[in-house]
Amino acid sequence: MSVSFALCFVALFVLAGMGAPIALSMIGAAIVYLVVSGQDLSLAGEQIIQGLYGSFVILAVPLFIIAGNLMNAGTVSERLLAFCNAIVGRFRGGLGHVNVVVNIILSGMSGSAVADAAAIGKVIIEMMTKDGRYPAGYAAAITAAAATIGPIIPPSIPMVLYSLISDASIGYLFLGGVVPGLLMGLVLMLLNARAARTRNFPVEAPVPLRQVPRVTARAFPALLMPVILLYGIYGGVTTPTEGAALAAGYALLLAGPIYRALGWRGLYNVLSSSARQTASIGIVIGGALIFNYIVAAENIPAHMAAYLEGLHLNPLAFLIVVNLILLFLGCLLDASTIILVVLPLFIPSCRALGIDLVYFGVVAVVNCMIGLITPPYGVVLFVINGITGIPLSTIIREIWPFIGMLIVALILMILFPEIVLWLPQQFGYKGTVG
Amino acid sequence: MHRILAWLRARADNVAVGLLTVMFISFIVQILSRYVLNAPVDWTLELCLTTWLWVVFWEAAFLLDDRDHIRFDLLYVMAGHRMRRALALLAALAIVVAFLVSLPATWGYISFEKIRHSDTLHIRLDYVFSIYGIFMLATIARYGLRIWRLARGGKIEAPVVEEAP
Repeated sequence: MSVSFALCFVALFVLAGMGAPIALSMIGAAIVYLVVSGQDLSLAGEQIIQGLYGSFVILAVPLFIIAGNLMNAGTVSERLLAFCNAIVGRFRGGLGHVNVVVNIILSGMSGSAVADAAAIGKVIIEMMTKDGRYPAGYAAAITAAAATIGPIIPPSIPMVLYSLISDASIGYLFLGGVVPGLLMGLVLMLLNARAARTRNFPVEAPVPLRQVPRVTARAFPALLMPVILLYGIYGGVTTPTEGAALAAGYALLLAGPIYRALGWRGLYNVLSSSARQTASIGIVIGGALIFNYIVAAENIPAHMAAYLEGLHLNPLAFLIVVNLILLFLGCLLDASTIILVVLPLFIPSCRALGIDLVYFGVVAVVNCMIGLITPPYGVVLFVINGITGIPLSTIIREIWPFIGMLIVALILMILFPEIVLWLPQQFGYKGTVG
Repeated sequence: MHRILAWLRARADNVAVGLLTVMFISFIVQILSRYVLNAPVDWTLELCLTTWLWVVFWEAAFLLDDRDHIRFDLLYVMAGHRMRRALALLAALAIVVAFLVSLPATWGYISFEKIRHSDTLHIRLDYVFSIYGIFMLATIARYGLRIWRLARGGKIEAPVVEEAP
């Protein structure tokens, strides 16, 4: 490692540690690197501009953000909630199951865990805690845990970011997330069923069967969304980026003419907040681009791959080590930072060890999503705390079993790559593990 | 003063929404032209990429606050009042210095691009890329202002994440 790179690294940690925005810290650290190594100072700006201006794939990010915000504003989530309540609300611990199932469906439309938690968090937690039926901490914890499924089942913003840094196919990455996402839902529902018995959670009055068709009809246009999206992408009709635009367009139709839940003022607000979120991710992507350029120029991934080869790790041991590192980082860092800045370091080693990049990507994204609910830094926990006012400490007390179950699901995915790769292989993906 | 700033901010927000709208619409046009009319147009892609670049840096220049940015603020949140002021001051200073140092070279790069034009719309690339220069200038101004405020004993922002009562 050169002196300039070491200083760049120190600058990044010090700046970010002082609370400066991660993106500006990365740009600042890159400038330190260029100054010390005596390179042209315009390189930082050049890399960022060319990187953002030259990648069609990234455009899926703002479009999925718009789609998610439009659906949140357009009563889509409430309709889905009513639908799921009619279907699975009748069992013991029913609202817990409703919570997971509605998140699974919602995840087929939105690509962000934060958006999902914000979309249904308030309503479902109020339903669950009304008359003290469920403890507030439990309601918040299961909502947070279920929201992490959002970016695993396609579409997925984190997977778009991963595809950007790894060149793995977005289409196959999306497919690879389907079974793991369902598995995560399953383990959460198992945990909820157990908690419902041991803690004696109430059974809701079942929604009468004759109301089910009406509730379904109200939710039907929303339920069509994942179907349209997946058909568009896998029917070979559109590229994933165009699929994102299609999703946003359909969400606009739903919220506007179909559900009549969004006026011009509301539409403006949706676009305004979407622009804000787009920029806050976009500028981190920009910072990561210049940082990845430096990491590549310094040949860090090759050094790391050589070092790992020297350790004679087998692929499984490598995956376990990487996942432990990611889980640890997930407690401290934002998921997009980990994906854009840390994961590129591991990709060459994966290639050297023959680990399939779609498989690695899905596992790594699942890991990073668990990081969204691990204290002390868990964005989804903050969101739920923000919209419900349930204290963080109360949520954190109840979150551990959920984190535990999601880690069990993660371990299963690591040990049995078929969980990830089976579906992509059905669609012609050639990659295998080992 | 506050009213002028609020007015400017609202106008900057109008521009951002406008850019995002153009991007969204040109995507829809692209899809319709390709799959419905079977007569694909080629200018939409470039328009999308240009508006995307502009949305990101326009927002970052004029609208993104610290609470909108992705940050690692564990230490900042834990620090006491005096420490927090020191951290905010140092961070702002470092950003201003780094951006100032690289500004001339970056400006040179952007204006050098005037000899090139974009592929389909034939816009001079120094115009397209100028938003990055604007972003750098605005960042220097905003953090410079913050240094000035903090150094004179002005209020520091409350940490973003606070436990609800």
